[in-house]
Amino acid sequence: MAATAAEARFRIDAPIAPSRASRVVALDQDAATVVRRVATQPWASARFFVYDDSPGSANGHGGSADSLKLRTMDGSVVMLGETLAGVDVAVMVAADDAGAVAAQSIGAACTARGIMTAGLVLSDGDHVGRALSALRPHARVLLVPAEPDDLVQLLTALRA
Amino acid sequence: MGDLFRQYWMPALHAEELPENDCAPVRVKILSERLIAFRDSQGRYGLMDEFCAHRGVSLWFGRNEESGLRCAYHGWKYDVTGQCVEVPSEPETGNFCANVKLRAYPLVKIGDILWTYMGAPQTRPPLPEFEFVQVPAEQTYTSKRWQECNWLQALEGGIDSSHVTFLHSGQLNSDPLFKGSKGNQYNAGDLKPFFEVADTDGGLFVGARRNAEEGKYYWRITPWVMPSFTMVPPRGDHPVHGHIWVPIDDENCWVYTFDYHPARALTGPERQAMMDGYGVHSENIPGTYRPLANKDNDYLMDRDAQRRNEHFSGIKGIAMQDASLQESMGPIVDRTKERLVATDSGIIKARQKLRKAAIALAEEGATPPGVDPAHHRVRSVAIVLPKEDSFMESTADAAKVKPGVPQTSV
Repeated sequence: MAATAAEARFRIDAPIAPSRASRVVALDQDAATVVRRVATQPWASARFFVYDDSPGSANGHGGSADSLKLRTMDGSVVMLGETLAGVDVAVMVAADDAGAVAAQSIGAACTARGIMTAGLVLSDGDHVGRALSALRPHARVLLVPAEPDDLVQLLTALRA
Repeated sequence: MGDLFRQYWMPALHAEELPENDCAPVRVKILSERLIAFRDSQGRYGLMDEFCAHRGVSLWFGRNEESGLRCAYHGWKYDVTGQCVEVPSEPETGNFCANVKLRAYPLVKIGDILWTYMGAPQTRPPLPEFEFVQVPAEQTYTSKRWQECNWLQALEGGIDSSHVTFLHSGQLNSDPLFKGSKGNQYNAGDLKPFFEVADTDGGLFVGARRNAEEGKYYWRITPWVMPSFTMVPPRGDHPVHGHIWVPIDDENCWVYTFDYHPARALTGPERQAMMDGYGVHSENIPGTYRPLANKDNDYLMDRDAQRRNEHFSGIKGIAMQDASLQESMGPIVDRTKERLVATDSGIIKARQKLRKAAIALAEEGATPPGVDPAHHRVRSVAIVLPKEDSFMESTADAAKVKPGVPQTSV
């Protein structure tokens, strides 16, 4: 057994299989600031997006979950459904409930595909309750209140 | 991390180890320091360097008499502060011994535990105020066991709620300290809980929610107070339990396990069950704190019980189910080989908080979370809430200590 230091050294030292495919979506502007900053770090396969909730866009209202529009870090528009192929985990980041509709779409799309969901609530003030309510039904794991560094730590631990 | 632990009061011994004045001294190893504990003729407790300042002889062989511990080799004698008070070979009128003092730490009895503080005197915090050591003696019980692995991988089991559904599934309806609660049915009815990890001033609250009746969730709230105190959410009116892990060295730790009821005395059968190793306690080899089931006997693995689903892992008892798996990782698990998942967020966050606190202490001298006794006054909670409710808001009162008021439980 590996219960001694000497025996523990004989554990097979094989490379760990490829990283988990992760998608990170900022659901509001405050969250976008954090996600953009984290996205500049070197990640294995994580990809980062911002939910586009500009006035008049009606993004996510009425369409299918897969048709939710997200913006990549360089500003391109992609559909949620396109981003989820082969994904293991989707991380939603929110500071208020502005992205509640997007959270619902992401939750539904991930549930349909068997993708794990996580949520980080950045706010520590009045908006935390609203942000939590928006994310809770759709995130299997929630960190609240989360610091920007929590996103880094989570993605690092997931080998994203 | 050792410097971080030196900011806190920690359990050093079970009070039963020094049961009376002038009893036998006890060897103690904490934070990789070899120490000797004794209780002098006036009932004062002492915890100091195990080895005589003269020739390095272990004071475990010493004589505890007349308000001091006397080395068996040449008779040098020390008081509970580590001060040498007698060197028989020196002239009686000399003051040689005034300059001889062993490194010593305070040792204070609170509840069933003798607590020590191994940090700098100027940063010594107020005494601990965990509820299990504050209630009357008839309402609390503490056991102790040796765990043969690093303290952190053991602690991480204490904040990892998702393993309960599997590893301990055989015990929820059979263990006398768990069975019969409505919460057990919710546990069994929803094997994929959702988690919320809430940052607090003293550590974390880890909430696990499962489906309950229509429109409601069953929540189990696990507090972690830094560096190593955790509580298990209660079940029915059973006593509430939890653990404190104390590093012996990098590859071993002491586990102090408690059960208490905030509002009533423990019953005879409850106390007997705890002494017999049920609940989260262990059955130890008599006269020691080593579990009867240990790595040298494969934890008394019972494959038939495993097949019957009596014990999911084949190991009897919740404490040893945890300890056996945590020890099987090796003395210090190689975390570079881990494949963590999102539901390990409580562990990820706890590691982050410990690391941050250690860095803030080293670089800024910042007092870490969990030192302030206000952080100790927490409770675990089990509760059914409407789906729209936030557990942190709804259980804010229930998660605080209220002397004499029963725990919030399902």
